[in-house]
Amino acid sequence: MSENFFTTCQEQSGSENTTEILQCISDSIQEQAENRAADLHDFLYVLAGAMIFFMQSGFAMLCAGSVRLKNVQNTMLKNLLDACGAALAFFLVGFGFAFGGQSESTSTSFIGTTDFASVGDSAAFWFFQYTFSATSVTIVAGTLAERCQMAAYLCYSVVLAGFVYPVVAHTVWSNNGFLSLANVNPLINIGAVDFAGSGVVHVTGGTTALLATLILGPRRGRFFDAQGEPLDTPKPFPGHSVALQLLGTMILWFGWYGFNPGSALVLGIDEVGGIAATAAVSTSLSGAAGGVSALFTNLFLEERRTGEPHFSLLMAMNGALSGLVAITASCGVVEPWAAIVIGIVAGWVYLWTSGLLLRLRIDDAVDAIPVHMFNGIWGVFATGLFASPRLMQSAYGTDEFPGLFYGLVRRTNPANLLGCQVITILFIVGWTFVTMFPFFIWLNYKGWFRADSLEELVGLDISYHGGMDNKDGSVKKEYVEAYKRHKGALRNRRQSNTQHSTTSDGWRDSAATDADPDSDPLAAAHEAMKEDHSLRSS
Amino acid sequence: MASVAEFCDAVDNSTITVDVVGCSAYLAATETDEVLAGVVEGLNVFFLLFAGAVVFLMQAGFAMLCAGSVRQKNVKNIMLKNLLDACGGAIGFYTVGYAFAYGTNDEGGKNFIGTSNFFIRNFSAGGDLIGWFFQFAFAATAATIVAGTVAERCKMAAYLCYSVFLTGFVYPVVVHSIWSADGFLTAFRDDPFRDVGNVDFAGSGVVHMTGGATALVAAIVLGPRKGRFYDEDGNPLETPATFQAHSVALQILGTFILWFGWYGFNPGSALAIDNPDSAATAALCAVTTTLAAACGCATAMFFDSVMDARATGEVSYDLTMAMNGCLAGLVGITAGCSVVQPWAACIIGVIAGLVYYGFSKLLVALKIDDAVDAVPVHFANGMWGVLAVGFFADPTLMAIAGYNEEKGGVFYGVGGDLLIVQIVAVLWIVGWVTAIMTPFFLVLNALGMFRVDALEEEVGLDISHHRGSAYDLTAPKKEDVEELMEVRASRHGKVEVPKEVAQAAETEA
Repeated sequence: MSENFFTTCQEQSGSENTTEILQCISDSIQEQAENRAADLHDFLYVLAGAMIFFMQSGFAMLCAGSVRLKNVQNTMLKNLLDACGAALAFFLVGFGFAFGGQSESTSTSFIGTTDFASVGDSAAFWFFQYTFSATSVTIVAGTLAERCQMAAYLCYSVVLAGFVYPVVAHTVWSNNGFLSLANVNPLINIGAVDFAGSGVVHVTGGTTALLATLILGPRRGRFFDAQGEPLDTPKPFPGHSVALQLLGTMILWFGWYGFNPGSALVLGIDEVGGIAATAAVSTSLSGAAGGVSALFTNLFLEERRTGEPHFSLLMAMNGALSGLVAITASCGVVEPWAAIVIGIVAGWVYLWTSGLLLRLRIDDAVDAIPVHMFNGIWGVFATGLFASPRLMQSAYGTDEFPGLFYGLVRRTNPANLLGCQVITILFIVGWTFVTMFPFFIWLNYKGWFRADSLEELVGLDISYHGGMDNKDGSVKKEYVEAYKRHKGALRNRRQSNTQHSTTSDGWRDSAATDADPDSDPLAAAHEAMKEDHSLRSS
Repeated sequence: MASVAEFCDAVDNSTITVDVVGCSAYLAATETDEVLAGVVEGLNVFFLLFAGAVVFLMQAGFAMLCAGSVRQKNVKNIMLKNLLDACGGAIGFYTVGYAFAYGTNDEGGKNFIGTSNFFIRNFSAGGDLIGWFFQFAFAATAATIVAGTVAERCKMAAYLCYSVFLTGFVYPVVVHSIWSADGFLTAFRDDPFRDVGNVDFAGSGVVHMTGGATALVAAIVLGPRKGRFYDEDGNPLETPATFQAHSVALQILGTFILWFGWYGFNPGSALAIDNPDSAATAALCAVTTTLAAACGCATAMFFDSVMDARATGEVSYDLTMAMNGCLAGLVGITAGCSVVQPWAACIIGVIAGLVYYGFSKLLVALKIDDAVDAVPVHFANGMWGVLAVGFFADPTLMAIAGYNEEKGGVFYGVGGDLLIVQIVAVLWIVGWVTAIMTPFFLVLNALGMFRVDALEEEVGLDISHHRGSAYDLTAPKKEDVEELMEVRASRHGKVEVPKEVAQAAETEA
């Protein structure tokens, strides 16, 4: 390799000028090393992005398992479409609003204004950011399941991915945002730390879900009976498949290892290893702590109330997801013990807010609001408490403004970071509120938002997608019996063939000539099938 | 970055080129080195991160395999156990497990258990932390193997007790002896046992045998599910009742996720990717893993078909055999994936399929009930995998994978040292796990904390422990559907055709 550099450099500057050749060679070596590193960086972006994209299937499975059988097709289609819609919207305008022109200008701005319908400087970076926006959009799908119209869903998913989410991402993550750490003149000298997007992704999606369900109202029969009288206790609508719910949870947890450690890549390739490793450890610990704390706290409370131990899978799953959401903001900047504390509190936050929503009669089909919105808020807030100066130094190059607890010990700048975090929470919730709330009200006013009540009762699969095929997948008993009889006859005949050496196709001939169902089992089976078809077609 | 040569020109702005040359060369080398060092560290971390995450996804694979294999009335219960494994594994391995497994002693000699670095307190470097993450994914796997075997009849509290005990103590001790630098069987020190130490590259023995042996002990102490081998009066049945798996689709999903996860498990165990040897090892592992799985699958299924055809005269192809044969091949290659040639991987896979078939029948004959056949897959084939290394390990590949290149499998004519070590490792793992877990389970059983009540088992654990069944497959009410259709039809101005007319039209057509 170095020989090639030498010859090309010699040709360029003539064989006489030693200094120039030397300069050329050393430049070439440096350039090559940097290019290699950049290629690698892009490749890691793509791998991490692919893992985050896989979370789409996690959300889809979680939703599929959590809704009733009659709405599965509809929920699945929504999950698929928001990945599609987010890609188009984020390409056309979203990326430009979020990160357009961040490399050229250093001034603080509200929204990006270049790079529309393009992927900017790096396609890998675009892809990585797209997967985040798609995640934010898909959070809402579960909450609205079973009662939202198809068109309304498409409208808001495009608005969310194309405009609302990009503005939040611009504010917190681009170099030009007023809350960004990378801003040349950051807020209260530090800016907000939202490492992988507890706030940017989860609070944005969760708040949208809350606003949407407020306007949409609860599912029929959840809090009110047919006459509109409130029920004493809300009626639970258990999901149709726990196995799919758990599959979704596990896939999400897996995807989070792209979401959190992968976000270290944004900081550049040189120092990324240690930060990504920290993020992986704290993600594991917080998710685990969240699941355990929600499960056992719930177990304890229920046992006090009813006297029976009740291990609730739902609590464990949502608790684990809560822990994962909460650590997302701080995964690269907190120590492992703090990750466990954050996870445990996340489990409690989930239990409390989930109960609160029930008391307020706000219906959330998959508990996405407690998991994503409230724990997203807790996650952003917790960063202001627990961010360790050592890790802040390695991730962001400054240890002057650590979390409150470290700051109080050092007695310097204890609350700068926490202040920024609180402002971030207020900004995200406020911004989502002012944009999405009028939008949903308008949709509702036009009658495009909620499905017709009869459609809802029947289920959206039949109403919008022409039926649920193969409801239970069972085979009719008569078919099975007929088949067994046929098989037994076949075996008998085979044996008799060898004994009496009659024609080997005996049974087939008899089926063709003699259609008496009693003597010929195959004909009986065909008979049964024919009858069934005529019944179905009528 | 400022150009190195410009900088050097400024340092010594003379015409003495030798100085400039020296300065340039030195600075260019250092700066390039620095860039590369950062890149290499990041690359290694991300290699382990992706591999560890893929191993973690195996949790989902085990969960789906178990979910599909049990009866519908126990799905919720088994799902919760699988989730708690992941959670408990993380906490158990964080608090004490990692310290027992990889903590060092001051003496530096061989020892039984690590005693430092509880709560991974002393970690700051990225390499250490990501190492913890990767090892945690393995520990969770070892614990979750047991869940399937004891499914449908084990109490929740008992499950929690032993899964924490397993990841926190039993498994770490095995890891310490074989994978840490201070273990008595380890290959990673200057004076390993019989000059080679145990070759268990990704953990056929450490992970799968430990989990499988625990499952075996638990299944024996716990007893079979109601109605599997004995009728209601306790008389043995002539042929054991088969409990139909409730969802084949979930089983096959689980199998494929596990297979996918194995590409993190085996190639990831190279632990680094920044040098040609590690990269070659990882690549070889991917190949051998694939081949062994494929061979195991085909062998188990066709062998079963042949045996079945001889017994009944009818040919059938059993999906369960194919799936478990595939997993058996994967477990069998795990120990040797980095040190055997691809052809040897095929042979290991073929034998793994047969081992699975034989051991599965043996368990049924012994009336030991294993709900998902985890014991034949993980225990028997884990054992076969460890032993197979003693036969098939290629000395040249041993050198590349970082083991002693003078030793190898007996088929390569380099002596039987490795085989002896492998046998000792098998005996040690089986002995350690049974010695610890048998009393543990017996005590649990004596306290009445192990097995659920007979009636609860009959009703299913979902209803008795988790309030309601896992599935709700009720379709919408027929009247509602008809009403909607009527409303729609009238909206579009369609006229309803009387049934008789429609039928007549159809017969004509």
